[in-house]
Amino acid sequence: MCHLRENPHIQHTALPSSSCTDCDTTGGDVITVTVGATVPTGFEHTAAEEVKEKIGVDARISKDRGRIYFPITTDKLFQVHLLRSVDNLFVVVQEYEHYQFSESKEETLIDLQQLASKLPWTNALEVWKLNSTLKKKKGHRRGGNGSKGKPNSEAHDATAVDNEQQELPQASPTAEGQSDVEPTAQTDTCSQDVEEATPEAKVIKFRVTCSRAGDKHSFSSNEAARDFGGAVQEFFEWKADMTKFDIEVLLNIHNNEVVIGIALTEESLHRRNISHFGPTTLRSTLCYGMLRLCKPQASDIILDPMCGTGAIPLEGAIEFHNSFYIAGDNNDMAVNRTVNNICHIQKRRADKGSASGLPIDTVQWDLCNLPIRTSSVDIIITDMPFGKRMGSRKKNWDLYPSCLREMARVSRPGSGKAVLLTQDKKCFAKAISRMGGLWRKLHTVWVNVGGLHAGVYLLKRTGALFGQTPEDVYESRGPVERQEKDDTELS
Amino acid sequence: MKLLTHNMLTSHVKGVIKGYPLLIKATEVKVNEVEFNPQFVSRMIPKLEWSALVQAAEELGQRQDLPSDLVPDYETNEEFLKKVHRVLLEVEVVEGCLQCPESGREFPISRGIPNMLLNEDEV
Repeated sequence: MCHLRENPHIQHTALPSSSCTDCDTTGGDVITVTVGATVPTGFEHTAAEEVKEKIGVDARISKDRGRIYFPITTDKLFQVHLLRSVDNLFVVVQEYEHYQFSESKEETLIDLQQLASKLPWTNALEVWKLNSTLKKKKGHRRGGNGSKGKPNSEAHDATAVDNEQQELPQASPTAEGQSDVEPTAQTDTCSQDVEEATPEAKVIKFRVTCSRAGDKHSFSSNEAARDFGGAVQEFFEWKADMTKFDIEVLLNIHNNEVVIGIALTEESLHRRNISHFGPTTLRSTLCYGMLRLCKPQASDIILDPMCGTGAIPLEGAIEFHNSFYIAGDNNDMAVNRTVNNICHIQKRRADKGSASGLPIDTVQWDLCNLPIRTSSVDIIITDMPFGKRMGSRKKNWDLYPSCLREMARVSRPGSGKAVLLTQDKKCFAKAISRMGGLWRKLHTVWVNVGGLHAGVYLLKRTGALFGQTPEDVYESRGPVERQEKDDTELS
Repeated sequence: MKLLTHNMLTSHVKGVIKGYPLLIKATEVKVNEVEFNPQFVSRMIPKLEWSALVQAAEELGQRQDLPSDLVPDYETNEEFLKKVHRVLLEVEVVEGCLQCPESGREFPISRGIPNMLLNEDEV
């Protein structure tokens, strides 16, 4: 009835089974699993590129937007935490491409309940355990707004384990032997090296999160989570806890595609660099995606003329650090928050003993009148005011053309690029249509920012010198003509 | 404010023709360690106004023995690149001001942030 697709990647490679002091090995077999990642919608290809670059495998982009999947071996698991374009990670327990749902809700839910005991949990749970060990070693911080620790390649030392951390459970739920794949070594010996010994087996706490999309389902995500969760609880004898859970089981249903996974990350990966938020702070994964799009080169001068809290240039200064970033804004609070965020990161780096200085500076300026030399900037990257979250529709109408002109002036003719995020697509399209002599549209990525549909526009600066194209001459005549147009064209 | 940024900044007061380079009056300067990347420095040099950089370093008393003219084959001269790296990225003006060389208008620098906003009558 259910079309089962076995995990085609199961292999076993024997490893010397000696000491487990290295956090990368389970002390036993290396297994291959499929990892799923959620990424900002629209940046699936960018994320796949990053996976190829940093992990060396091909990622598959799911039909369910904002998700990619890729295989990984357990000895390389730590690499997933180096990815900057992913919001959340999970290990796949089972994937069904064409799950056959029963006619009635009742039968469907019973099927889901029965599924719990049939799934190949073993490998996924091993990976979950291994991952918990990795996170402890890097002093990985718990959820919330703060960004106290960053799981990346900078720090391999096992620094202070956060007291809020979950205890690594000793009980192994694979003892039932329901799976035909079983690792020959236990991870118990390994885990004792890294955390305080807990002699008795602790009951594992878990929760199930279900996301459901599609219009032919007879059930709701709550019902599925409840019934599937109930069966999981019975099968493993875990305890259900919605807030203080050790294991988060994911049930993703997208039309006929059903994926069961176990979460490897907590919620807050996407705000990693920012400790001082503003009203519209962009998540770091989106910043990373935008930066990757413009491919910063060594010694590029990169400007963010509306930097807000500095999320984009700060991500750049960390991840694409061979370029130089100038973050600017006209608002007092914004520039101060930007400097605070930069200092926070620099202090963290200094604490780890590395050279703390970042290639970034902050200036307070008016973006329509930039105090920057003509033709001196290689890349302009920014999140333009949306009109709903900040600014206003009418203001954007005047702002966008002036912006684009000034950005064209400071950009290097012929080689300069701009990556601009905006939700006000109509206003932007109109502004850019009048700038053909200065900017050329190369590519657009459609994204979702805080529930709003937005576009990330990649532009190329034409070779024309500023001050010589018809646009400059026309625009410089002032706002009078535009005023009349505002009244008739604004909706 | 690093001197690399200063090298890009210009005065844009209305009517001013020669607003570059801005003069620096610093009351607090600090030196911060930044990882040295020779390729970064070497590729940045052609993008700079060299004399403005030397002048700025001089104003801060941080010139040391930076030459008035670029040395030939600087791309492979690591010692030279290190000196340039230092003045470009490691020296920072924390408090002070920038002054337009033509109009005399001063732009304050506070917490390392130059405030380049103009008043309505100056735009």
